[in-house]
Amino acid sequence: MSDRITALLTHRRATLLVVAVLLCLPPFYLDAFWLRIGLFSMAAAIGAVGLALLSGTAGQLSLGHAFFLAVGAYGYTWLAGDPGPGLPTALAVPLAVLMAGLAGGLFSPVAGRVKGIYLGIATLALVFLGHHVLLTAESVTGGFNGRSVPPLSLGGFTFDSDGGLNVLGVPFGAEERLWFLGLALFALTWFTARGLLRSRPGRALAALRDSETAAAVMGVDVARHRSAAFVVSSMYAGLAGVLLALAFRRVVPDYFGLVLSVDYLAMIVIGGLGSVAGATAGAVFVTALPLLMTRYADQLPLVAAPGSADGAVGPTEAARYLYGAAIVLVLLYAPDGLHGLARRARDRLRRRRTPTTAPDTAVPSPPPPAAAARPKEHTP
Amino acid sequence: MNDRTTRTRAGGTSTTAPPELTVRDVTVRFAGLTALDGVSFTVAPGSVHALIGPNGAGKSTCFNVLSGLCRPDAGAVTLGGTELTRLAPHRIAALGVARTFQNIVTTQGTVADNLMLGRHALTRAGFTASALRLPGARREQREHLARAREIAELTGLGNHFDAPVGLLSYGDRKRVELARALCLEPRVLLLDEPVAGMNAAERARTAEVVAQLRAELGLSVVLVEHDMGLVMRLADEVTVLDFGRPIAHGTPDEVRRDPEVLRAYLGTDATGEDAA
Repeated sequence: MSDRITALLTHRRATLLVVAVLLCLPPFYLDAFWLRIGLFSMAAAIGAVGLALLSGTAGQLSLGHAFFLAVGAYGYTWLAGDPGPGLPTALAVPLAVLMAGLAGGLFSPVAGRVKGIYLGIATLALVFLGHHVLLTAESVTGGFNGRSVPPLSLGGFTFDSDGGLNVLGVPFGAEERLWFLGLALFALTWFTARGLLRSRPGRALAALRDSETAAAVMGVDVARHRSAAFVVSSMYAGLAGVLLALAFRRVVPDYFGLVLSVDYLAMIVIGGLGSVAGATAGAVFVTALPLLMTRYADQLPLVAAPGSADGAVGPTEAARYLYGAAIVLVLLYAPDGLHGLARRARDRLRRRRTPTTAPDTAVPSPPPPAAAARPKEHTP
Repeated sequence: MNDRTTRTRAGGTSTTAPPELTVRDVTVRFAGLTALDGVSFTVAPGSVHALIGPNGAGKSTCFNVLSGLCRPDAGAVTLGGTELTRLAPHRIAALGVARTFQNIVTTQGTVADNLMLGRHALTRAGFTASALRLPGARREQREHLARAREIAELTGLGNHFDAPVGLLSYGDRKRVELARALCLEPRVLLLDEPVAGMNAAERARTAEVVAQLRAELGLSVVLVEHDMGLVMRLADEVTVLDFGRPIAHGTPDEVRRDPEVLRAYLGTDATGEDAA
């Protein structure tokens, strides 16, 4: 028995190592376009994991995610830049994340009391408020034109294209360097979010989602945990905002609109609510799709090249249609998202490999969440 | 509070008798309907106190008052020297009052997840410690998981410990609720129809577990149940409610002979035994 556990542990560790090595390879082989897709995907994944904690695990809808991304992005830019305190950039990153957390905390009197879809409406206000502030507080945000983002510098190493750095014969520009920063931040997100979900706070949040009453009589402080979920989710959004700002090298108010919040909701729905891996998969899908379609617009049927104004469907719109369709398909046929699909495939594979297990140890895969329990006989 | 933490460190076995639970003149009104009308009873430390009455008599409302989900319009509930009626549900849970629900209320995930939710009030790991997987938080989780497994064995869920709750049979899910309440290491256990919908074997098993708990852990149990056989077997004292009013009180034998009780259960001219 213990042998099997050690074997399993080493197996898991080996898988982790292989994945880590594979993720470190792209900067050596892919050009900046692909690296940028990767970077934006990693940033989106960090933000989506935060939203998955809030919406998927704690059952709280938020349409204000873009606001907290903006707080992170602009917070970093302001803290490290001029005009601003001009702090060391390495210090500005954690402070920007804390700022986003603080913004979430300020909203916690609402986030702790209002639940589900009503919180979604309440957070809607944040997006418009945030957008307005970004446009008008010009001394801090640079107004409509935004601000350029100071590159991050960690102990003498700067994440920009200067210095002519070569690693193994590959010139390392900003994208290559930021790739590793993104990986590190994403690994941190993965580690912490899974730690949270599998322990006391995660269980308390899931209990709040499934039954507030049961959670309360089991000793869960309902308002406190709702607020905490909101703060934690804001902090992940803040971190995502920082990475986005570094990747874009310029922050502009129009990016942080309601559409961005909706994109994040799409990510966690497509990926599967309440799972870190699912949120990541959803984030990659939603982020990469429009970028890829823009790049290959000339080779795609029915999609016009970007910039052509003859009424055809542009690649960005086409991508939106596609992931809109993806959401509909997911909701209809796989309500637990990509994560659920992957899990069922894995279970099926495992069952095929070990066809004769004792009946009491063979635990079938858990049923999809409550949303999936509705009858499907009307679907064609 | 301190007394509680030391108690749970020691593995969850209680040596001190639970405090007395007193319900005094509790009245609850829902927009014109008086659900509870001046209900008073006392649960002696370590006893099983049954609350019976026809449907709609206010038994579940009474439980909701005891666990803080419903604030009474008048009256008070005290546990030892602490007044419960002003406390939020999670504070009451932290004092060692656990409950189950009439209709099963479990959360998604495995039996282990549900039982570990029961350990919430006894554990400390916060968001930061859990996110960073600090050694203290991991050790705490390991220790409490071991105790949760013990409780699963005790309630006959040992084989299902890692199974998703959604796949269990009705009786087993009912037992998950009981086990989850026990995971709180309660001093007072509120059981709302613990055997409703169970078959004879499952009923016997649950009755056995409740009797065993009371003998081994010495906790007080408040029981709402329609199964009179179970009530008569387990209860030390019985309070009968009808339309929110207490109509009888006493030992099971006294109560089953009370003419008021027979009338409430069987109508005015009833002369039969009890309403099992």
